[in-house]
Amino acid sequence: MIDINSIISEMTTEGSQVIIPLIQQMLGLLPDIPMIKLMVSFILWKPIFAALICPGFSTLGILLLFFPWIERKLCARIQWRVGPREVVRWLGGIIQLLADTLKFIFQEVIIHKDAHKFYFLQFPLLTFIPALLPILFVNIASADAEYPLVAIQSPYAIQIMLALICLFPVFILGMGWASNSRYAFIGTVREAFMYFAYEVPFIIAVLAMIILFGTSGSVAITEWQSTWWRWGIICNPFAALAFFIGSAMATSRLPFEIPEADQEVAFGPFVEYSGIGFGLVYIVCYEKMYVLSALMTMLFLGGGNGPYIAPLGDLSGAVWFLLKTIIVMTTLAILRPIYPRYRLDQGLGMGWSAILFLALIALVLSIIMRSVGMVL
Amino acid sequence: MKKVAVPEYRVGEKVKLHARAIGTAMVESVYPKTVTTQYPRERKKMPDNFRGYILFEVDKCISCFQCAFVCPANAVRAKEAPNGRYYPTIDYAKCIFCHFCIDSCSGGALKTTKIHDVAYKDMDEMLTLTEEMIEPPEIIREDKKSVEYLIDEKDLHLKRVREVDTLFVAVTPPVEIPMVSQCIDRANCIGCRVCEEVCESGAISSSAENGVLKMKIDTDKCTGCGLCVKECSMQILRLVRK
Repeated sequence: MIDINSIISEMTTEGSQVIIPLIQQMLGLLPDIPMIKLMVSFILWKPIFAALICPGFSTLGILLLFFPWIERKLCARIQWRVGPREVVRWLGGIIQLLADTLKFIFQEVIIHKDAHKFYFLQFPLLTFIPALLPILFVNIASADAEYPLVAIQSPYAIQIMLALICLFPVFILGMGWASNSRYAFIGTVREAFMYFAYEVPFIIAVLAMIILFGTSGSVAITEWQSTWWRWGIICNPFAALAFFIGSAMATSRLPFEIPEADQEVAFGPFVEYSGIGFGLVYIVCYEKMYVLSALMTMLFLGGGNGPYIAPLGDLSGAVWFLLKTIIVMTTLAILRPIYPRYRLDQGLGMGWSAILFLALIALVLSIIMRSVGMVL
Repeated sequence: MKKVAVPEYRVGEKVKLHARAIGTAMVESVYPKTVTTQYPRERKKMPDNFRGYILFEVDKCISCFQCAFVCPANAVRAKEAPNGRYYPTIDYAKCIFCHFCIDSCSGGALKTTKIHDVAYKDMDEMLTLTEEMIEPPEIIREDKKSVEYLIDEKDLHLKRVREVDTLFVAVTPPVEIPMVSQCIDRANCIGCRVCEEVCESGAISSSAENGVLKMKIDTDKCTGCGLCVKECSMQILRLVRK
């Protein structure tokens, strides 16, 4: 049984509400209707706020709506093209993805004869589980804030996030298997190979940071990196580099776009999808990119730490966090026009030699720093 | 034997090259050197001798068939008009826009324009009759700007000018060299009188004296159009300077 009174009392305890001085005046103007007040304070309740508004659902939705456009426009500028332009011309085609989404929704969903219908249809939806759940553990409050702004506080937040992120390729393998097509099979096998190539250095890099911080709770990590010279990227740049390359591999960004490779295997595991199914698998990659960028911001860029912006109150940390996340995402996106695609064996070789080596150096560095006590 | 191999780089060089690539990308993302022409909204400025849609002026045509003769793609054909003369028609399905017809036109009746974007509904429509060649096709201008490509020592640049480029070229008539038809080998004339029939200005006349046909070219009347030269079956007429 859910006891509503206990929930309300928990909602209204001190420090459990998000306080934004900018809109506090507006909230005071709300009529004294109990239901509306209750709903507003429910949304402003920190766990719900984190899950629904920032960094959760709304922020994610807005980012997903505009980030593909930003990426396409950026790549186009670097490659001397123009990029999407014709949808809302005077804004440079900013709602291109909205138009694409409408197209995806009204397209026919084709399930071909050989596909395993049950899994074929459910895997694009199931992929959202490992892609969405890690956001619950992201703390976006700055270290100065008295109370954290995170949906679920856990001392094992990083490990849970990592476990969920590592679950992601399993669903992609499932999609490729259910598609039952040779391009999908090739893409799936490539995805599996890449999975093994990046996962080990990726996990070791995160492990190095956990050893350095001595904790794996998202709140404690943010507190540890309270000043800029204690950010992870400055304390352990090798881990940051290994993590960054690992994320580029994990999100199939261009130098490691081996599983999708549309010139070779025509989007690999997703080749048989059409209509809204393709829309989902297209967007889920960006979602994974957001999660990995958020993790990178948390581990290496100091989370929500930054100069305090008074009118935003508790959202001050969120603004810095999102800014850093978008910078990481843009850096991942900017790789697309710079690099050509590696061959599968080159990608594997890189993952198993250079990046693993980098991650091991980072691990050793962390252990030395921790044992010598250079930090703290 | 020399083998092509992957160049070997040291770690420092590799890092330098990566940094340079990323730096170039950063600079380009802020100041891109995009050279795309936003076509319907702006047009590239074409040179005056651009080989585009061909226009025709009836008054200047002397029906010499040179255009149909010279056309390498057999796109130009002469068709009989109600007044008995022959005028060119162009099949744009075949035309390769070499503009040999314009170069060969002795009267300057054919002339070029900068129109390069004519749309047709089907292949039959692409056969442009003489009447349609007199007036330019209907043009819908959406462009507000003209675009010019400038090439300097380093790179190619795009220069946008806020002006609408005119699509028609004013052809200055060439300095006319007065020519006159002359018979170079009188002994070989067979007296077929084709030249007399074909002459528009009536410069060639014939007279029979004692059963001998005598042809005469009036140099004052002759305009030097060259029709008789072309039609002469013995090829003994030439155009010479007056």
